[in-house]
Amino acid sequence: MSLRAENLTPGSSHNASLVSDLKRTQIVQYAGASGDYNPLHTDEVFATEVAGYPSVFAHGMLTMAMTGKMLTDYVGDGRLTQFGVRFTNQVWPGDDLEATAVLQSIEEHDGVKLANFEVTTTNQDGAVVLKGSAQARVD
Amino acid sequence: MNEEQQQAFEDLIYSYVGKVVCQRMPAKDAVNEPMIRHWAEAIGDNNPAYSDPQWAADSQRGKMIAPPAMMYSWGQEGFPVVAQGRTPDAQSELVERFNENGFFGTLGTNVKQEYFKEVGIGDTVYMEMVVDNISEQKATGRGIGYFFETLATFSDQHGDPIGTQRFRVLKFIPPAEQAAASSSDNDEALEVPTRIASPRGHDNKWWWDACDEGKVLIQRCKNCQTLRHPPRPMCGECQSMEWDSIESTLAGEVLSFTELHHPKIPGYQYPLVCAVIKLAEGTNLVANVVGCEPEAVHIGMQLQGKVEQIDAKTMLPQFYPA
Repeated sequence: MSLRAENLTPGSSHNASLVSDLKRTQIVQYAGASGDYNPLHTDEVFATEVAGYPSVFAHGMLTMAMTGKMLTDYVGDGRLTQFGVRFTNQVWPGDDLEATAVLQSIEEHDGVKLANFEVTTTNQDGAVVLKGSAQARVD
Repeated sequence: MNEEQQQAFEDLIYSYVGKVVCQRMPAKDAVNEPMIRHWAEAIGDNNPAYSDPQWAADSQRGKMIAPPAMMYSWGQEGFPVVAQGRTPDAQSELVERFNENGFFGTLGTNVKQEYFKEVGIGDTVYMEMVVDNISEQKATGRGIGYFFETLATFSDQHGDPIGTQRFRVLKFIPPAEQAAASSSDNDEALEVPTRIASPRGHDNKWWWDACDEGKVLIQRCKNCQTLRHPPRPMCGECQSMEWDSIESTLAGEVLSFTELHHPKIPGYQYPLVCAVIKLAEGTNLVANVVGCEPEAVHIGMQLQGKVEQIDAKTMLPQFYPA
């Protein structure tokens, strides 16, 4: 399934829940799956007593990847051409995350149609944890 | 850090811009089902393109692909880095330079990925990385710091570009260290306490605002011309609420006074003489007598006042022997 340019209007949006009640275990699994074992994300004692954070927190890349899933579910796999984000708040165990993509424009280069999206991920308090943009090929 | 030290520090860190963090090298594992499955599980992605070999085999591609955002994972060094430490490279050296100079704080702030080509089972992801840029010093919500950005370029076993990743990191002085760093370096930067702020309400704000401009005003009844101080809404003589003001010449005499000894209040300079001063215009004003020994102050003493800046936040009339 893929998106068709004629069915898309700038301003239209797509959103999806990414996770509810994020578990420490999921963060640890992401550490293993991605190879990023920074103890800030996996070792509660290090995160609290050495680094002074209230607990471990999620890899920015985990939030980015979960947001990326919302995008690839929407635009279809093999379609994403660019995805850039800014991590605006940390993501903590217990968080619920929701992501939204809003279509900004559709451009055409050499017969290839590219859709530009603005992407936002928020937590259960409405705080923005990730903000960015993405570009995908559409039919 | 003084200006010279900061210059030397910045020369040092900026020398890392353009340095190679790692030459093009292959990931330890070729793109494979189990690693994709673990990664997709961790982010809760059940797209069959990443998880269902049968579905993938029947699809147009004929094979399973890796999720695009997984691109950087193939080149990660994993647990050995935590267990044995990282082999020194340009990035770890740069981080060390920041740490040595108090910029201990680390926060990943931005990631930007570009995707040129899908990778599927059996492909090998090659990565090379450089330190791409370092910002000027920034005052951020986390503290003073610098952003540095690495640029990783990914390609496959044929040398075809797969994508790029820019990763921006903020190295900052954590707030507790910031206070320590500035006190050892620069004592005068510590905040000097100021006098208790004047309470400014509906009826007296105008008087204090004029004081900030260097003027002492006296309220005058518009109906009967009687002067009054401190400021209040109604004339005590005729009950009129219409008023204007005149500017005092600040000539006056001591009506009564006291010297404050104890307790000493931060922000006030001692010795401290407080006097009720009868102004030439006829109203009384409470202010400090300065410019002479406290012992010299006496009732009936002739004074001349001027409005002065007492501390960083306070303008007040101060009275000197006339």
